Amino acid sequence: MRRAVRPICARQRGAARLDLIFLAVALLLPIADWAVGGWGLIDPMKTIFIYAILGLGLNVVTGFTGLLHLGIAAFMAIGVYAFAILTADTYPFQLGFWPALMLTLPIGAVAGFLLGAPTLGLRGDYLAIVTLGFGEITQDVLKNLETITKGTQGINPLPAPTLPWIVNDGGGYALGWYEFQTDTPVPWYYLFLGLLAIVVLCNRNLERSRIGRAWMSVREDELASKAMGIPPVPTKIVAFATAAALAAFAGGLWASSLSSSGEPSNYDFQVSILALCIVIVGGMGNISGVLIGALVMIGVNDILLQKLFTWMQSKNWTSTGSVFGSPNNWKFLLFGLALILMMRFKPDGLVPARKPRAHGGPTKAATTSGATR
Amino acid sequence: MELEIQYLLQLLVNGLSNGMIIALIALGYTMVYGIIELINWAHGDLCMLGGFLALTLIGMLGIATWTGPLGIAGVILLLVSAALFCGSLNLLIDTIAYRPLRKAPKLTLLVTAIGVSFVLVNIGLFWGGLPMDVFNGGVSASAPKGFPPLVPATPIIGGDSGVTVTVRDLLIVVVTVPLMVTLWWLVRFTKLGKAMRAVAQNPTAASLMGINTDRVVGATFFIGGALGGFGSVVYALNNGTISFQLGYRVGMDAFIAAVVGGIGSLPGAVLGGLLIGVMRSLSDGYLEARWTNTLVFAALIVILVFRPAGLLGLRAKEKV
Amino acid sequence: MRTRSIAFAALAGLAFAANLVGGLAMGPAPHAAPGQEGEKKVLKIVSSLPRTGSANAQTTTMVNGIRMAIEEVNATIDGYAIVFEDWDDASPQRGNWDPQTEAQNANKAVKDKEIVGYIGTFNSGASKISMPILNKEGLVMVSPANTYPGLTKPGTGEKNEPKVYRPSGKINYFRVVPTDDLQGAVAAEWTKELGAKKVFILHDRELYGKGIADVFQERAKSIGLEVVGFEGIDPKAANYKSLVTKIKSTGAELVYFGGTTQNNAGQIAKDLRAGGVAAPMMVPDGCFETAFIDAAGADNLNGKTYITFGGLPADKLTGKGAEFRANYIKRFNTEPEAYAVYGYEAARVLLDAIDRAESKDRESIRAAVAATKNFAGALGTWSFDEQGDTTNKVMSGQTVKDGKFEFVKVLGQ
Repeated sequence: MRRAVRPICARQRGAARLDLIFLAVALLLPIADWAVGGWGLIDPMKTIFIYAILGLGLNVVTGFTGLLHLGIAAFMAIGVYAFAILTADTYPFQLGFWPALMLTLPIGAVAGFLLGAPTLGLRGDYLAIVTLGFGEITQDVLKNLETITKGTQGINPLPAPTLPWIVNDGGGYALGWYEFQTDTPVPWYYLFLGLLAIVVLCNRNLERSRIGRAWMSVREDELASKAMGIPPVPTKIVAFATAAALAAFAGGLWASSLSSSGEPSNYDFQVSILALCIVIVGGMGNISGVLIGALVMIGVNDILLQKLFTWMQSKNWTSTGSVFGSPNNWKFLLFGLALILMMRFKPDGLVPARKPRAHGGPTKAATTSGATR
Repeated sequence: MELEIQYLLQLLVNGLSNGMIIALIALGYTMVYGIIELINWAHGDLCMLGGFLALTLIGMLGIATWTGPLGIAGVILLLVSAALFCGSLNLLIDTIAYRPLRKAPKLTLLVTAIGVSFVLVNIGLFWGGLPMDVFNGGVSASAPKGFPPLVPATPIIGGDSGVTVTVRDLLIVVVTVPLMVTLWWLVRFTKLGKAMRAVAQNPTAASLMGINTDRVVGATFFIGGALGGFGSVVYALNNGTISFQLGYRVGMDAFIAAVVGGIGSLPGAVLGGLLIGVMRSLSDGYLEARWTNTLVFAALIVILVFRPAGLLGLRAKEKV
Repeated sequence: MRTRSIAFAALAGLAFAANLVGGLAMGPAPHAAPGQEGEKKVLKIVSSLPRTGSANAQTTTMVNGIRMAIEEVNATIDGYAIVFEDWDDASPQRGNWDPQTEAQNANKAVKDKEIVGYIGTFNSGASKISMPILNKEGLVMVSPANTYPGLTKPGTGEKNEPKVYRPSGKINYFRVVPTDDLQGAVAAEWTKELGAKKVFILHDRELYGKGIADVFQERAKSIGLEVVGFEGIDPKAANYKSLVTKIKSTGAELVYFGGTTQNNAGQIAKDLRAGGVAAPMMVPDGCFETAFIDAAGADNLNGKTYITFGGLPADKLTGKGAEFRANYIKRFNTEPEAYAVYGYEAARVLLDAIDRAESKDRESIRAAVAATKNFAGALGTWSFDEQGDTTNKVMSGQTVKDGKFEFVKVLGQ
């Protein structure tokens, strides 16, 4: 008994330490950025935080529970449109940032439940197709129900976050509300970081809670966990709804940071795949891995490559006349090759999740065999 | 009344001819899945490249100007070369990308397939940028490319009124049905087919029986790719447009067809393809086109909820 | 375990607190002071257009146009070096404009104090995102391609448009293209002139395509045309055979498609002809590019296709415009696409304003752009009206003959 428990504790201590290191670095980054004269890192970091939350949501269902989910973007879209409709001044609700953001959680969860309840009895691949189909349906429905969602017009403007703060109301300093400004990225950065930290914390607690262990037991062996009194379908439904809620939450943040809902087609299959890659590249089922995955996937794409291309352009190495001359046209190729090489040489991700090893069982990662079986 | 029946029949003809192409491509999906349980995400994009190869050949050899029997030979040449190209490319991809991962978890393999799909899409984009006349000199690489109408849309039955069946519809039947029959024969009655079924059932046991599993899987990839190659040329001849982005939709339709039919089942893929084609057509004709996609996916979900292994799929015993 | 969680939560809370201190205290970064070092002071112009994926062909010609305009002034105005940067607002995964990227571009632009002009966007949806961001900082924005009316015209879009895009109350957004409410309407009138009585309207369900199809439908009904169908298509569909069967059964005399080449206009043309529909097809300027003829096949278009365009085609331009065309051909060895001249015009009107502005700061350049009157441009002589729209409302209609666009007439005059 002891031997089984100990490594888990050590693992969690290690994870908590890693989290704190992340947090410390993240807290200091804006100061460093400011000191060196603005690398333009802070604004793109918002996107990384949002994708990290999305990835953490997907991690619950794909990483912890071992179900392949190809339609997480649909729940993000539901969050975006829920937030937009609840807040925009062209709709009757006109809630503020915080109540609307909090409402995205139950709305996402209900959507996840409604899709999950009838379909979660399906085997892995079939379930993947259902989620994929749901992603397509959501986009089309959002596009076609123009009277409710404004179709491709997008809903804007949407409120920025507000926090109680000491503000100068003209006559002097008093306690009031500070409203975030799009051109001042630092408050956004810290707010999103804070929310991400809370999500990470919740995830860590979920991971070792009763339901978290139930998820993992379903992932490792559905039949055995059934025999142990864990009903697989309800367990999966909870995972599904949790993931949907987190994705919708990420959607709410996304909408607020853009001050617009964007178009339904902004939340297409590519977003789902990006989220999946974040989870897999980081290391399935590993919370720190997801954070690193988001940092790598979005960071390389939005920050590193952008910097590189701007630099290439300043050297006149690019040409706009031919399809080959523009570095942007090479991105897909690079992205694809990176995925292939990654899977070839580091298939368990950058930060592989350490699994309690089953007695005498095969060491081959049981992590994922359930996912597509 | 007669007009309404005519309308319905015309929609069915349209749906079946589109469905045949979907079915042909779905076969490639289902074969690969049946044997190594990989959702071959790149299959649609592979077909896209087949279309680009055919268009390049047309540009290089001037096939568009060939007439009469030579014209028919040209079409056959395109079909065969696209099939060989897609088959070999699929085999190559398997050897380089998938084979080293045979023992890896399924999800690793799927992500690799997604990576391959991205690479192929990018190759398609660059291919369209080649400075050739058929690609409009390569100035707008990303734009859809017109595919010369080598096979005319001349009606065989009907015409200005009534139900119309065109030469293109005939072409689809003439190409796909023999291929499907050949495939069925191959899997059922040849040694290779038997080996394939053995590997699909249990790779370890199959290799213990002396079957070279790598070679069998490779052959499956080649055949699946070749079918996709045929499919791509039929697709291009029938629709007359190819674009580097077409793989997504083509692949998706074929994938759904394979799943609806029961993934791993060859007749299932064909049935699924025809069903998707007809469903799309009827929805376009009787409902609004903008809801067609939603309808197809909703039908998919409903079918799966009530028949979790697809229409013709066997309820696989849960592996423990 | 519990204590650790609490400690962690406390730290997260601390992050919040630090957040606001940091956020409010940090002013502009120390290095960002504009143009103080170096002998030559720099003014930057950036363009934010989708440079990856489907719209690339059109945006490439626009960027070429912009570069030409800057080269014409030798990249110098009043001793300031004019530097141009070509930004992308598309993401490669999407192959289309991406809201987050556009927002990042806008935020990046307002922060770089050397930037005094923002040319963009291509998609009206993208402008909805960047307009308010740039507006707060008074950075002037000139779009070479946005045609959604609500961006500038009160009463044409949502009831809060365009006010929501102008939080500072000032107008910083200008466009050199006429809007869809004009183009859709002249298209309907042209349809009537051509003698068609029953029209079937298709659109690609995008902001641009649906918008223009809506205007077309409204005008068509009001001038007594019968609209026998109004449908949104699936731009990714392999073909539209069954839709064509439906169109055929309605006996439509003209098919209008609101949408772009990218959204399968070519396939629709092909399927109409293959399906035996003889009715001509009319499309808006989103299809006014050689790629459309290329995708549809000349045989399917010749004599059976009408294209409306907000402006004159390049070979019908006179004066400055004709000069532009000649120079473009000389410089890039190819005929400019229809939109090239708008990129050129947007850059020129901006450079002209920089030249006229007293001090070269954002506000005086914005004011100078707003004050543009009787500008002798490549598109003729025109001004910006009080909402930031061009007064140039020339529309033209073309057809396709022998696989080439052919000018038919000036519309809406």
